[in-house]
Amino acid sequence: MTARLSNRRIRLLLIFFVLAFLGTFGRAVWLQAVQAQPLDRMARGQHHATIEVPAARGSILDRNGVELAIGKQAITVYANPRHVADPRATAIAAGRALHLDPDRLYGKLADRTRGFVYVARKADPKRAEALKALDLTGLGFYPEERRAYPQGSVAAHVLGFAGLDNRGLSGLELAHDKTLGGRNGRQTIVRDPFGRTLDVLSAVPPVEGRNVRLTLDNTLQANAQSVLQRTVRQWGAKAASAVVLDPNTGEVLAMASEPGFDANRFPEASEETTRNRAVTDTYEPGSTLKVVAVAAALSEGLVASSTSFLLSPNIHVADRVIHEAHRDRTEQMTVAEILSRSSNVGTITLAQLLGRSRLETWIERFGFGKKTGVDFPGETSGILPFYWSGSTIGTLPIGHGIAVTPVQMAAAYATVANGGVWLRPHLVSGRPVERRRVVSKGVSDQLMSMLRDVVIEGTGTEAEVEGYEVAGKTGTAAKPDPRGGYSKSRYVASFVGVVPASAPKLVVLVTVDEPRGAIWGGIVAAPAFQQIAHFALQYLEIPPDALPPR
Amino acid sequence: MGLLLAGVVALNVTVLRLNLRFDALAQERAQLRAENAELSSELAARASSPRTSSLARRGLGLAPADPSTLTYLDLSER
Repeated sequence: MTARLSNRRIRLLLIFFVLAFLGTFGRAVWLQAVQAQPLDRMARGQHHATIEVPAARGSILDRNGVELAIGKQAITVYANPRHVADPRATAIAAGRALHLDPDRLYGKLADRTRGFVYVARKADPKRAEALKALDLTGLGFYPEERRAYPQGSVAAHVLGFAGLDNRGLSGLELAHDKTLGGRNGRQTIVRDPFGRTLDVLSAVPPVEGRNVRLTLDNTLQANAQSVLQRTVRQWGAKAASAVVLDPNTGEVLAMASEPGFDANRFPEASEETTRNRAVTDTYEPGSTLKVVAVAAALSEGLVASSTSFLLSPNIHVADRVIHEAHRDRTEQMTVAEILSRSSNVGTITLAQLLGRSRLETWIERFGFGKKTGVDFPGETSGILPFYWSGSTIGTLPIGHGIAVTPVQMAAAYATVANGGVWLRPHLVSGRPVERRRVVSKGVSDQLMSMLRDVVIEGTGTEAEVEGYEVAGKTGTAAKPDPRGGYSKSRYVASFVGVVPASAPKLVVLVTVDEPRGAIWGGIVAAPAFQQIAHFALQYLEIPPDALPPR
Repeated sequence: MGLLLAGVVALNVTVLRLNLRFDALAQERAQLRAENAELSSELAARASSPRTSSLARRGLGLAPADPSTLTYLDLSER
């Protein structure tokens, strides 16, 4: 009885072990054969990770190596709402640490349908660290690069800005995005349960972004911006822009626009304030364009600078009568005086000698009507008249019916200043500069002499810089009225000058949009030129060239 | 055979340790880079020309030199 019982128990035990073995074997076959691939994928997903190694974005430096745009580290805070134990308490803690609205955070954290939400992109590292120290479940942190502009508003229009994903969105950040951005790397790693790297299976190293060095000088730039700010305030103007060029190299030393903005806070800035007006906006140049007709007439051998004309105070051109701005009687004037005294009638007389075809050719030779190629995105080419009425030969040479950009005008005067060679104005160092001869050295010398008289005894006396000879030209032009014709109250005042006139080192152009109280370039823009030139000459240690007063 | 097995285990342990050290160093490098960028940015902000001129004007009562007080010496051969 006892033996039978024990045999039965042994058989039951055997059956149990056989079943257990079969169960284990079946489970092993199920896991290793049937479910092998999905489980393998799951394991890889848990242990292996392919992570992107971000390339550091290059810096933008001024000509002296001062950083104008730089990459700083920030911490991005994210959350998995499904793992957040107490959404309300977490929202309050995160809101307090990161200075965010807890109510908005609560909405995100309480949404358990989502597995990933951003709490704060590129947060301040100190604040993020403080939040991390609270060790709240469901929150995660990873480092990201944030673009910063250490000098705030200095050169903000030129630099533009980079967005949250560190890609350039405007200005030089956009134009040189490829150079600055580099290429992200990639790593496939094996991690332990704590997230530590156990092994690197494959790695493609990142290609770091390269620095871009500009021709701008941050000190000259800051000063030009501050002068424009004062000018706009003084004249209640809508806007202003300035360009400072080295006429011998085509390097842009400063390019300023007012109103300005802080590139660190670009999302708050309007399109009106972020536009680089010196490159993207056009204006009717008025008298500053007269230099083209005079240069053309001299170069074509039609006149000499001493050739004299008897000029009445107004001139009939087709159906229009064009008046002198500063003269009301008939006078004998030389070509030199036509430019230095800014005679409309004299300039139109020279244009009539040239004729339409030659005038058009010379305007284009000076670089108007096409992009200068300054390395800035969104440059406009200006507008040349596409239809010539009978009066166009009267309006065009005095700078009406044509639209130019400030940088085009500065480049044209740089051509006159450097002996007659047009150089592509540029903002980025180390690239070949296109150049072409426009007028002979002899003609450019004659033009410089005429432009000196503008400042000594003509319309630009306010541009005088003590100790230096200045050559320049004032410009005042009514703005086109949207209803047709020209406005009687809205003007653009400008002054473009070269200094020191005996050995030019700087071309400075200032335009002031819609000044109030006074409209003349010689009154509104020339003093701004004087302040910018005065500072730049001293800062660059350019010795005076004018004879001391006796 | 046992010796070979021990050698393989020892090698794997060393590789593991090295990888952990490598990971820690990579994190340290990232941290140092971040600090470096932060310091560069701070330096650029502090050295900015408007800030310097404002500090000089307000804090020290300095003003830009009058150009007429400057004397240039021409050392070029005539």
